[in-house]
Amino acid sequence: MGHGDKGGRPSKKPKFSAKELAHVEDDDPYYGGEDVDDDPRDGEGKKRDFTKLELKPDHANRPLWACADGRIFLETFSALYKQAYDFLIAIAEPVCRPESMHEYNLTPHSLYAAVSVGLETETIISVLNKLSKTKLPKEMIEFIHGSTANYGKVKLVLKTLLKDEVISRARLNSEGSRGADDFTISKTMGEIGAGPSDLLNEAELAAAAEEKETHAFEIDPSQVENVKERCLPNALNYPMLEEYDFRNDTVNPDLDMELKPQAQPRPYQEKSLSKMFGNGRARSGIIVLPCGAGKSLVGVSAASRIRKSCLCLATNAVSVDQWAFQFKLWSTIRDDQICRFTSDSKERFRGNAGVVVTTYNMVAFGGKRSEESEKIIEEIRNREWGLLLMDEVHVVPAQMFRKVISITKSHCKLGLTATLVREDERITDLNFLIGPKLYEANWLDLVKGGFIANVQCAEVWCPMTKEFFAEYLKKENSKKKQALYVMNPNKFRACEFLIRFHEQQRGDKIIVFADNLFALVEYAMKLRKPMIYGATSHVERTKILEAFKTSRDVNTIFLSKVGDNSIDIPEANVIIQISSHAGSRRQEAQRLGRILRAKGRLQDRMAGGKEEYNAFFYSLVSMDTQEMYYSTKRQQFLIDQGYSFKIITSLPPPDSGPELNYHHLNDQLSLLSKVLSAGDDAVGLEQLEEDADDIALHKARRFSGSMSAMSGANGMVYMEYSTGRNKFGKGQIKGKPKDPAKRHHLFKKRFT
Amino acid sequence: MVNAVKGLFISCDIPMAQFIINYDNSLPASQRFIIHVLDSTHLFVQPHAAEMIRSAIAEFRDQNSYEKPT
Repeated sequence: MGHGDKGGRPSKKPKFSAKELAHVEDDDPYYGGEDVDDDPRDGEGKKRDFTKLELKPDHANRPLWACADGRIFLETFSALYKQAYDFLIAIAEPVCRPESMHEYNLTPHSLYAAVSVGLETETIISVLNKLSKTKLPKEMIEFIHGSTANYGKVKLVLKTLLKDEVISRARLNSEGSRGADDFTISKTMGEIGAGPSDLLNEAELAAAAEEKETHAFEIDPSQVENVKERCLPNALNYPMLEEYDFRNDTVNPDLDMELKPQAQPRPYQEKSLSKMFGNGRARSGIIVLPCGAGKSLVGVSAASRIRKSCLCLATNAVSVDQWAFQFKLWSTIRDDQICRFTSDSKERFRGNAGVVVTTYNMVAFGGKRSEESEKIIEEIRNREWGLLLMDEVHVVPAQMFRKVISITKSHCKLGLTATLVREDERITDLNFLIGPKLYEANWLDLVKGGFIANVQCAEVWCPMTKEFFAEYLKKENSKKKQALYVMNPNKFRACEFLIRFHEQQRGDKIIVFADNLFALVEYAMKLRKPMIYGATSHVERTKILEAFKTSRDVNTIFLSKVGDNSIDIPEANVIIQISSHAGSRRQEAQRLGRILRAKGRLQDRMAGGKEEYNAFFYSLVSMDTQEMYYSTKRQQFLIDQGYSFKIITSLPPPDSGPELNYHHLNDQLSLLSKVLSAGDDAVGLEQLEEDADDIALHKARRFSGSMSAMSGANGMVYMEYSTGRNKFGKGQIKGKPKDPAKRHHLFKKRFT
Repeated sequence: MVNAVKGLFISCDIPMAQFIINYDNSLPASQRFIIHVLDSTHLFVQPHAAEMIRSAIAEFRDQNSYEKPT
């Protein structure tokens, strides 16, 4: 495929460089003079001209390059790498972390996080200066000063949540907007919104900052989010530290739980916890660890250190069970102190302190509930939680999850996630919803340490067959494009080949992911493998997963996107992805996460061990289709984490014959006509409610509580639950063909 | 009598041949350029069509390749 002409691609670079150059001229004395007069088309290159930076004489021993625009490059082969890495991860955002050179970016948010874990402005600058090969650019020093000076002046120490508001009213006059009274805040928000510098506010703040004594006042719980948002760098620039003085909290009862002695946190887990409990208080924030690196142990350790009531939120019922199990596994908590609250199991809370594990949906659900769950929810609302533990926190920014935070009163929030990216860029909302990022692990370091599996990522290019591609190109098939490239017979054969190879040659456990429901059903039926998708009931899911974990005969399962998050399948070590949610980087990373849990013996896994790779991630892509575009886009997050994708072009091997399906043209043609005759709805993506880059299991969870859903009266649910499609192909969406033998005798004759 | 036509011989892979055929079909009859489809990987087309085909393919391929924004 080397005959594509890439020359015709329009280049956007000149347009940007003009703007950048203007910026450089204005505020950047380093780049003044002769450089600016040059041809503006070289602007891009010029911006990266660092010849002006002064090298220190002993630069070879120092690991960093610091640039005036806030970017920092770290050499990972340096002797000081470990120390430098720990420091950089605290003060800067990682942008891209390939094997030997990391790129970081200093942002106001990242510096805010740095201050909140206890670093001071001068420390940041002096350590950075020590590590840098060059003299620190003036701009960078000013930037650090500018963005850290005000941090932490307002401490949000929530000692008593329910105390009355007298103090805050008294404070109102002298402290204006910092006084954090609800209506003052909301008014100023409306007025300034966009601009960071409102004279009035700054004056007030300056006055407020001069008072040295500590003022404590209470904030209306429902306004906490607004107040925090107001105080972030883009508004008042007085970010607050949210800390919980749990040792001195005598109001809330202690929970008697400890980590079991065999629970040994790994070094990076220890480090992330030490960031959280820096000065004897608990800070709110987010800890980012790759999937399979032991996020649950971090969560359980945090809960057992705070030793107060803990509300643990997960994304679906399966992971609720898993969290409850993890709590019992790692800590000494008694069975009656922990309860699960899902639509299937409504366990009541006993005693005055305990752990409740539930889902975001259960808490945020706005409609009518059963009397029983109404009571439990009421209890959750009224209680003061010591710790709010949020799993897969990248889903939180969606509106309904904010609600969760506003209706639960918690002293400290800990968010856990593997992938702090969203396609809708709302990830920064987390800064005021929860808190700054406390710790982020480097994936490759964990791989080298043997803590997570070493994954071989591969993109398998499957050429389209002649007939499928001809249909793909036709205009009238534009809605079926996805179905056509997913059902490409060559892809099917490649998939079948990989399943056979890994099942038979290596004895691996395989997960096949398909977002496209039509493809999922077709593949799974043809290959006779179990599958789980949105409509699969909780019971059936558990049964299939159990069989997959324990049985030697079930080595492959097919999952739709319900399997993306938090379904814990530690046995699996191969993923084959046959279709995906457009260009979602998060989905790619989450799916990879399903196989990251390290398996086998530690010494085999370590660098230089017996097996180079012990897990495999295949993404099957039909060539010359949109899928190529999406596939590259999806990989960006993993590439930024230092993964590289190998491209495989000859699968299945050319000598494979009729032992794989769809060898004969006739079979391929009948498959094609099946795809073409399917309705547009049937071949589209699996539609799950509330699925805007979010929670997959929402629908099933939400409706199973209501009577109409149980009886099948709800049309949407009815369609989702229909199994007729599986057996009879695409056309039959409605109606469950029942086994005639089970029919009532009155109707037996009528239908047969 | 032997009838000779001057043309361009295109050799490509299966999907690209389909792409060119589809492109040809989308044009009005007067502008069609394929003289003969020899087999699934070879085409015989009017000599002037080379540039047109090239740019159409380039555009198609650009749509399918992702570039990381900088």
